[in-house]
Amino acid sequence: MDILVIHLFNALLYASVLFLIAGGLSLIYGVMRIVNLAHGNLYAFGAYVTAWVVGQALAGAHPVILYLLLPAGAFAAALLGAILEPTLLRPFYRRAEEYQLLVTFGLLMILEDLMRFFWGPYPLTATSLFEKMGSLKIGESVYPRYNLLVISIGVLAAGFLWAFVYKTRFGVVLRATSQDMRRASAMGVNVNRVYIQAFTIGCFMAGLGGAIVVPGQSAVLGMGVDALVLAFVVVVVGGLGSLEGALVGALIVGIVREFGVSVFPEVELAVLYLIAVVVLLVRPAGLFGRTA
Amino acid sequence: MPGPVTRRDLLAQLGVTAAATFGASAAGIGFAGVARAQEKPKGTIPDKPFRIGHMTFFTGPGAVLGEPMHKGNLLAADEINAQGGLLGKRKIEVLKADEAAGTDANVKEMRRLKLSEKIDMFMGITSSGNTPALGPAAEELKLLTIFIDGCTDFLFDKAVPNPRYVFRVTNIQSADGSTCALAVAQTWPDVKKVAHIHPDYAYGRNCYDHFSIVSKKLIPRAQNVSEAWPKLFSTDFTSHITKTLAAKPDLLVTSVWGGDYISFYKQALQHGLFDKMKVATTLALGTAPHAIGKDHPEGVLAGVHANYHFSYPPGNRWPLNKTFVEKYKAKFNEYPNFQAEGAYTATHILRTAVEKANKLTGGWPDDDAIISQIEGMMIAGPGGYVYIRPDNHQGYKDAITGFSKNVPEYPFPILDPARIITIPIRNITAPPGWPKGEPTSTYTWIDQTWPTVKQA
Amino acid sequence: MSTVPLTLQARSPMKALPWAVPVALLLFALPQAIDPYKTILLAYGLVMGIAALGFNLLLGYTGLLSFGHSAYFGVGAYAVALIFKYFHVRSMELFLLGAILASLVVSALFGFVCVRYTRIFFGILTLALSQVLWSLAFKFYPITGGTDGLRVPTPTLLGLPLDTAGDKILFLARNYYYYVLGFFFACVLVMWVIVNSPFGKALQAIRDNETRAEFVGIHIRRYRFVAFLVSGVFTGIAGALWVPLNGLTTPDILYWPFSGEIVFMTVLGGFRTFSGPIFGAVVFNYLKTSAVGFTTYWQALLGAILVFLVLALPGGIVGTVVQLFPMLKKRFSR
Repeated sequence: MDILVIHLFNALLYASVLFLIAGGLSLIYGVMRIVNLAHGNLYAFGAYVTAWVVGQALAGAHPVILYLLLPAGAFAAALLGAILEPTLLRPFYRRAEEYQLLVTFGLLMILEDLMRFFWGPYPLTATSLFEKMGSLKIGESVYPRYNLLVISIGVLAAGFLWAFVYKTRFGVVLRATSQDMRRASAMGVNVNRVYIQAFTIGCFMAGLGGAIVVPGQSAVLGMGVDALVLAFVVVVVGGLGSLEGALVGALIVGIVREFGVSVFPEVELAVLYLIAVVVLLVRPAGLFGRTA
Repeated sequence: MPGPVTRRDLLAQLGVTAAATFGASAAGIGFAGVARAQEKPKGTIPDKPFRIGHMTFFTGPGAVLGEPMHKGNLLAADEINAQGGLLGKRKIEVLKADEAAGTDANVKEMRRLKLSEKIDMFMGITSSGNTPALGPAAEELKLLTIFIDGCTDFLFDKAVPNPRYVFRVTNIQSADGSTCALAVAQTWPDVKKVAHIHPDYAYGRNCYDHFSIVSKKLIPRAQNVSEAWPKLFSTDFTSHITKTLAAKPDLLVTSVWGGDYISFYKQALQHGLFDKMKVATTLALGTAPHAIGKDHPEGVLAGVHANYHFSYPPGNRWPLNKTFVEKYKAKFNEYPNFQAEGAYTATHILRTAVEKANKLTGGWPDDDAIISQIEGMMIAGPGGYVYIRPDNHQGYKDAITGFSKNVPEYPFPILDPARIITIPIRNITAPPGWPKGEPTSTYTWIDQTWPTVKQA
Repeated sequence: MSTVPLTLQARSPMKALPWAVPVALLLFALPQAIDPYKTILLAYGLVMGIAALGFNLLLGYTGLLSFGHSAYFGVGAYAVALIFKYFHVRSMELFLLGAILASLVVSALFGFVCVRYTRIFFGILTLALSQVLWSLAFKFYPITGGTDGLRVPTPTLLGLPLDTAGDKILFLARNYYYYVLGFFFACVLVMWVIVNSPFGKALQAIRDNETRAEFVGIHIRRYRFVAFLVSGVFTGIAGALWVPLNGLTTPDILYWPFSGEIVFMTVLGGFRTFSGPIFGAVVFNYLKTSAVGFTTYWQALLGAILVFLVLALPGGIVGTVVQLFPMLKKRFSR
């Protein structure tokens, strides 16, 4: 029984991180109609920054300070996003989607190496955050408390995001732009500003995903590329541009993967992609997507 | 075959010894790394640098194994260059290449190094997924090669069954799983339920196979209750750990290595895995020694790839090891791992072969002359004697494993000096002439020639 | 930027002759002049050229950006490896036959699914499907060897015994180079005929204006499906031809960044021209090899080149050359 609970936690853990990555990807697409292939690298960037900052502060810092440093990666990723959008992406909005994919693919290659340049070839860890929290007893088993923190952050982020998009003035502007950029623009919305804000929030989410994942695992090269395809699965299942979809998609992927590792390890990965294909066939716009 | 054998008999027959005594006559055997008065080489030697292409993991989670390999190569090259180079003339130049580029890219890069950079020799390789691709490529290029690791049996069983240019210095891979299983049989003979977590590629499969066949012979009652195959270089083992815990095994066998192992043990600690079962590893202490923290539990069967740990042979019992560790520490401010030892020994194998060949032929010996000297060479390295078998070009040295222990002298765990386990290599690897088998020759050899013990 | 593309070069084969013949002769003579290593690199380039040519039938002519062409390349390569593994055949022609059939089946299957979509959805769907194959190759260790891949020994060409005395490098740089060259010429010719046929014109009409094309009575989905098939098979042939060069197949060639490389080389050469992708593939191959040798940060270098290309030279190398010489432009553009 306790093992079942732990399986569930594992699934939620995986889903939380995936939701942050995929939610950011989806938000950006929803507002800007851009699929950012370098999105996974922003997740990796968040992981590296948090690991690095925590590592720098580790000597003698109070544990509370260390936990406060956790979101550093998210803010760094947001900042990077705020720089990238106006410089690299803006010139492409008027051009065909193919060019956007290509330029973000180039960005992916550049960011991958920049991280290697700044943080070296080795994995970067911040395990002290993971270890200091210890474990929680669940029946006969124990479970890392830190993982529960990650799940809570995932849930909180989902809540905040929902409130932000649906309950604030800015959310209204965001949704208006997403539904019809031209009309929003005609009604006085500064589209450029909305774009940079949306892109920054999306990057913040990816960075947050990386930041909370790094204490339990570590920041390694290539983690962004691997994460991106899974995020794709999530947004394809949930519907590109839909936050609810990203949430449900992340839960589905998290549960299927956890189940897969235990029960059908050979096809665990293939099943994830097949789910995406089936959803696309049955509901091309995804479970929660609007048909364009 | 005579009547039933007990486990104790079989372990004794196989020479599995705890805290082994050490000592042998070294007459007529070359010494790696000891500065000797340089004999004057015969004939004229060109002073063109000798270029070694060294490919290993310089990036990613594999780098905790790869970097020490490169450093071992550099240390030996420095020693040789300090005496003027090979035969006192040809300084060794080491060109780096990153194994993390992927198997296909590695094949291309090896070709580039030989055909475009004109390297004289190729060294390195960590992953056993790469040697079966690069071995044939090296033979095609007629490129003198000593693989340091990438030790899959498959290389000389199948991929290059009749090697000419390709050698390998660290122990063959089957020895790793077998050593682990023998150590388990000796230490924890009562285990009944065994779980496995192995990286999903050649090495993990090989460890699983050889652990299984040896345990079938020595602990026949042990049953396999769970298998998990995480991707190589993954950092998230949460689901695999949960799967293992759910099966409630007595023993977990794992061959996860490098940065992966570090992530694994940190996560396993928080899941209380080490409290619930015994853990046997093949490569826990095989990474750069400082990579593992003191939070790593003690008493874990901590493999060193059945090759070498810098703390053994201890003290000055085997002076070669003492000087090697001291020099390595002085140069790189860290302790060597088995890869460093392998690359260091391999470089001195090259030096020894070149010197011997020069004595015979004069001038700079051609590859054929060097190869014929490496074939059958027995050389003393820091970890002990290494024998390069002439038929399959594979290096053999006695296997070693032990248990993790924290001692005040080091800021990381080492092998418990009181509980080192050594096994004569010939007792756990298929002999020359044994037919090639599936999955490996050693597997069929164990299966067909070892008795199954009578379990009391 | 004007979205009206250049028409993809001359329509009459006669017009192409003045440059096609010298290039062909050059490719034929080059192995005599350059060392084996460079010849082998050129062979890699030609093989990738076939893949890029196939890929560009979708991107350049049909207006569909596939981010999953690693799938057909990989299927071609794995078909070869599995044929050898299970049937112990070593004939390159049988390998190719198997690869063509396998890539035909897979691209029919995937194409059936994918051609319902365009634009970004098409890209993501092709990517997701290629990832299915990648994960199968990756996970089914007993069959595919997982990440270790499958080795394939030197094949026999046209049923002839090897005459290079077991020297694989010489074999690759001589016999195999010309073998690849032969297939390369054949593929270029076939593709040329296809794009200049009424079918090819219809594809371009669909690309330029879907609605109009439909009004004219073009069955859009069927045309796209056939284009998808041809594209997949070309890429599959390239995958098969690539195997002897590499010596083994690994899941790397099925992973999505490899699809990105195919896109990269096509854009590098220029996807609005017929010869651009071929040119791009050869150049990309040299570029990547020298970048890898030149700096450990080769990936960033290639990424920067890609970003620069897309920003400043969207026509790619060939497209830009054509634009730089107004004479050629007048001749080749609409």
